[in-house]
Amino acid sequence: MTRYLARRALTALVSVWLASVVVFGAVLAVPGDPAALILGMNAAPEALAAMRTQLGLDVPPPERYVRWLGGVLIGDLGESLQYQRPVARLVWDRLGVSVPLAVGAALLATLLAVPVGIFTALRRGSLWDPLVVLASQLGAAIPSFWLALLLILAFAVQLGWLPSGGFPGWDVSVVGSLRALLLPLLALALGQAAVMVRLTRAAMLDVLAQDFVRTARAKGLSPLKVVGKHALRNALVTLVTVFGLALTNVFIGSIVIEQVFSLPGLGRLALTAIGNRDYPLLQGVILLYASTIVLLSFLVDVSYGWLDPRIRYA
Amino acid sequence: MTRSPLLVLLLAALLLAAPALAQDPPPVRGGAITVAISADPPGWDPTLSTSQEIARVTYGNVFEGLVRFDRHGQIVPALATGWQVATDGLAWTFTLREGVRFHDGSPLTVDDVLFKFERALDPDSGHVNQGYYAAVTDVRAPDDRTIVFELSQPSRSLLYNLARPDAIIYPRALADTQRSRPVGTGPFRFARYVEGSEVRLERFDDYWNPELPYLDGATFRIVSDPNARVAALLAGDVDLIGAAVPPEQVRVLQANPAVKVALGTATAEVTVAMNNSRPPFDDLRVRQAITHAIDKQAIVDGAFFGLGTVIGTHMSPSEAYYVDLTDTYPYDPERARELLAEAGYADGLRFDFELPEPYAIERRTGEIIAQQLREVGIQVNLSVVEWGTWIQRIFLAADYDMTIIGHSEPRDIDIYARPDYYYRYDNPRVAELLAEAEAAPTAAAETAAYREIARIIAEDAVNVWVFSPANVAAARTGVYGFWVDQPTPAIDLTQVYVVR
Repeated sequence: MTRYLARRALTALVSVWLASVVVFGAVLAVPGDPAALILGMNAAPEALAAMRTQLGLDVPPPERYVRWLGGVLIGDLGESLQYQRPVARLVWDRLGVSVPLAVGAALLATLLAVPVGIFTALRRGSLWDPLVVLASQLGAAIPSFWLALLLILAFAVQLGWLPSGGFPGWDVSVVGSLRALLLPLLALALGQAAVMVRLTRAAMLDVLAQDFVRTARAKGLSPLKVVGKHALRNALVTLVTVFGLALTNVFIGSIVIEQVFSLPGLGRLALTAIGNRDYPLLQGVILLYASTIVLLSFLVDVSYGWLDPRIRYA
Repeated sequence: MTRSPLLVLLLAALLLAAPALAQDPPPVRGGAITVAISADPPGWDPTLSTSQEIARVTYGNVFEGLVRFDRHGQIVPALATGWQVATDGLAWTFTLREGVRFHDGSPLTVDDVLFKFERALDPDSGHVNQGYYAAVTDVRAPDDRTIVFELSQPSRSLLYNLARPDAIIYPRALADTQRSRPVGTGPFRFARYVEGSEVRLERFDDYWNPELPYLDGATFRIVSDPNARVAALLAGDVDLIGAAVPPEQVRVLQANPAVKVALGTATAEVTVAMNNSRPPFDDLRVRQAITHAIDKQAIVDGAFFGLGTVIGTHMSPSEAYYVDLTDTYPYDPERARELLAEAGYADGLRFDFELPEPYAIERRTGEIIAQQLREVGIQVNLSVVEWGTWIQRIFLAADYDMTIIGHSEPRDIDIYARPDYYYRYDNPRVAELLAEAEAAPTAAAETAAYREIARIIAEDAVNVWVFSPANVAAARTGVYGFWVDQPTPAIDLTQVYVVR
């Protein structure tokens, strides 16, 4: 077990490092001059040259990469070219939006999807089954940004119940911030829930068809016990995988949603960094994205053994 | 050209709106508004970047210069109460306003003004647009209320340049922190900035004009998506969109009694730029043919609901020396084919046409133009390029055939005097005429020189100037006093007030 964990942790670290190399290379391969983007279209050539020196762009790329990596190892992500503030601080500020959004959406999706999935699995063959399957297919097919626009039109423009976008900040208003996250949360969670309903239903059907469930029923256990104690427990491994995937999906999906709702989150920070060729900022954000995704899949792997003692790690 | 009923409706609305402006209710003190802007600026110091995102928030609100543009583009006193020009045109004398304080409480002195122009004249200071002060040899202060600019030759554009967004004055002691914490003399103090989210300004109670501003504060909210800006306005989360409301949203907004739309002028010219140094564009006949092939009015009417003015040179109708040259090479596909045949392209012609990704108006215009060019036998390879690439490869390196962009700087016809500019147009006569305009003895002579430049570049068909888009602003019904025209990119809130 320890050896397995050590090996998985090492793989995870190498993946994150590889991601940093790929991002650094990709950013270099795309043309674009951060100095020109900072100074604007009408800047003089001398001002551009001075700005490049000031930004450290005259240093050769390999040296820049090594310097940056050295900084990362001691916890220094460098300074954003556009905002002229430490990348770590900018990223930290944005987590206050992105983490509640991603975790909230994944939880909401799970809370919606698992009961509905179990319900339809138990009611297989009834009228509910095809209805839910159809609804989930539709939900999975609707792009989240479009759903987001529909939600804005309905709940912000027509009904005026919730803000159409923006984020007041936790320090200014907790209630206001929660209200600002509600529609984005829904837009992210509904599509994800649609996918998860189908997976839960399939996992439950799988388990319900097995011998031990028949035995449990035969010995006269109540349906609640059959499902809750025997079937669900055995479907958990699949469900945890699904939850891990959901978290990764909403984390990535929030890039688009943050843009539509003008939320100051990590995804919007990444888009701004790409647009402005803000190399240090972009590298910092991608490093965080890569680390998070790798960490999530690591946690999901490790949780299998805990949920199902039959799973052994070689 | 048949006029659509929608266009007629819009024109009617415009006519109805005109008298309504005269009936604005009297100004009310107090309240705050939320304004939508599209992006984070690269820092807040307008002397370090020509980015319009900085000017939109700070011009007239946070920062002021000696003089400034008013809402109609007229140059009016700001930190200077008046000015005089020597008869030989070689000295300009400004009188500094008394009792002006910066937002940090310190008084405005001639030292702050001198320091500003020392930086503007020092090539190593990082101050942008040093070319605007090329004729200035010295700036001095004979007493503590007077500033004198000494020139090597008369400069008609000096006063205009002193009103631009980078000509602002901030306290000498706080020069290094303006990028993150702007401190000026304007009617609003910079209060809070959350990157990617919002900027908050608060009323400056010690503003030199005790009558202004009316508002207690304003929040500029960063909403990158144009349709999300409109949704926010309709939902009441935003009170004002100062510029660039998508034309297709105008009808939706006009139908809603809670909001109002204001149509004005702006300084942008949507320009199909051609690389004049590269075949086939080095042949005047090809450039003429391309101009003849494009039906500009059809584009404005069909794709932008008539919200713009067709132009024939690098000049928008909002400029003081505007001249209508749309007849130079009018829409005439037959003539276009003849010219192409003369130039040796009777069998057709093929080149790249690259559209800048962030600009929807330009992309849409470009797509229609590609279709119109096809009708005279020109095949273009259309592609969309991301903004960083556009700046780097097309704008700075001039590695392109044809592109399209809105040139929104006011009074920027001087770019045709720069052979290294991305049009790669080399005509020394333009530089001569610019110098003539600068040294012109009278305003009429200056105008004549500028119009001559406009005519030369139009006849040379350097680019195709398609149209000048109308400035479309929109606000909640109770918001008054905002700028309808955009003589310079700005969302000036000095005289804005809210009647609830």
